[in-house]
Amino acid sequence: MIIERILIFLIFITGFIGLISMKNIIKKIIGLNLLSSSIVLLFILEASRIGDEAPFLDDKVQNIVDPIPQALMLTAIVIGVCVTALSLAMAVRLYKTTGSLDITIIKERLENDC
Amino acid sequence: MNKRRIFKIFLTTFIISFTILPIILSNSSWPTLARDYLFMHAFDETGASNTVSSIYLGYRLIDTLGETLVLFVAITGTMSILLNLHKQVLQGVETQSSLPPEKRAKNALRTNLVEVVASKLGPIILLFGLYVMLYGHKSPGGGFQGGVILASAIVFLALSTVVKTKLTNSNVLSRIESISFLSLILVTTYVVFFPNGFFRNIATNNSFASATMIIILNIMIGLKVGTSLAVMIIAMMGGQHDY
Amino acid sequence: MNILLLSLILCLSIFSLFAKDLLNSIIALSAISILSSLLFALLRAPDVAITEAAVGAGVSTIIYVWAIRHTKRKDLEK
Repeated sequence: MIIERILIFLIFITGFIGLISMKNIIKKIIGLNLLSSSIVLLFILEASRIGDEAPFLDDKVQNIVDPIPQALMLTAIVIGVCVTALSLAMAVRLYKTTGSLDITIIKERLENDC
Repeated sequence: MNKRRIFKIFLTTFIISFTILPIILSNSSWPTLARDYLFMHAFDETGASNTVSSIYLGYRLIDTLGETLVLFVAITGTMSILLNLHKQVLQGVETQSSLPPEKRAKNALRTNLVEVVASKLGPIILLFGLYVMLYGHKSPGGGFQGGVILASAIVFLALSTVVKTKLTNSNVLSRIESISFLSLILVTTYVVFFPNGFFRNIATNNSFASATMIIILNIMIGLKVGTSLAVMIIAMMGGQHDY
Repeated sequence: MNILLLSLILCLSIFSLFAKDLLNSIIALSAISILSSLLFALLRAPDVAITEAAVGAGVSTIIYVWAIRHTKRKDLEK
């Protein structure tokens, strides 16, 4: 039980290190995506420990899983894809303006122009 | 410079890991009060036997309205950046010219694999998306899931060159999106004029009519999400499918 | 079974951050989405599994491929 939590913690750290230390903008956005996915995994894992069956009401079910984190994670997944789409559009716009995807080169080209 | 950078990254990661480590190492049990309440009362109060649907379409409808609004804002922002991509260039820097969109003859067939998959599977996925959207109150599915599958089906129809429908026309899709978004806002906010509060079912005693509200909400959310995602992806592909 | 899927997701995520060709890292991201959708279905959450499969392996991959088509495809880091 604690091994799964430690693996999710390692995915979180991987996404975070990708966000702050990679020089390519697309890899930073991939790190942001991994960060969001790891938290969704953590919530669904915690919600599945208190029951045996899927949360559908029927005559034969007796012990259902907690449905509240699942409803929260639906919203979280949709908002994750919204942030990814908007940030990728901004990355393409930066490439068209400065000609490179490397943040050090972008920074010095934007400083030379202003 | 290299050693200092590695040290800074390590220090930041070490500090950030303190924000999530208490959840990893905690021993307390998950509370079961909410699950027991929903097990007893979810079907009587909202009419849906899918408890996840009864939460985000029954008890917490305002969160779903906010999420639809966030999706709308994100797609509007992406489209506005998309349509102005070729405007200004920094002085004196050679940018690599982007590929012009879809530069091929209009009646040229693609490879056989893509053509078969796109044109023959497209209508089947469309039907499956409508099924997932309409049965959200009894089986897994609902508005968002059905909407995204609908968007994938419309993208399949736009990828093929054999099928010519009006469903890939951007004007038709945006008109459907406007009508469904307007009726979603009207349906969720008309209860301000009633004394029962925000979203109570009109007919809770009659179990046939109380699931109608959830079906109507699912249809509107699904149509809005599906058509707006399809408009954005068709604009990314070049936007030339006006039959 | 959960531990196996989670360790596969961890290996794929490390690979997708250190790949030289950006198309390889996008395919790894799509594989992470499919594996976590399978994990959600095993953990008794079918609604979240359908959403993750449709969104992660569908719409998100399309948007990434569009982004690298209009910029560079190789990541030549020194």
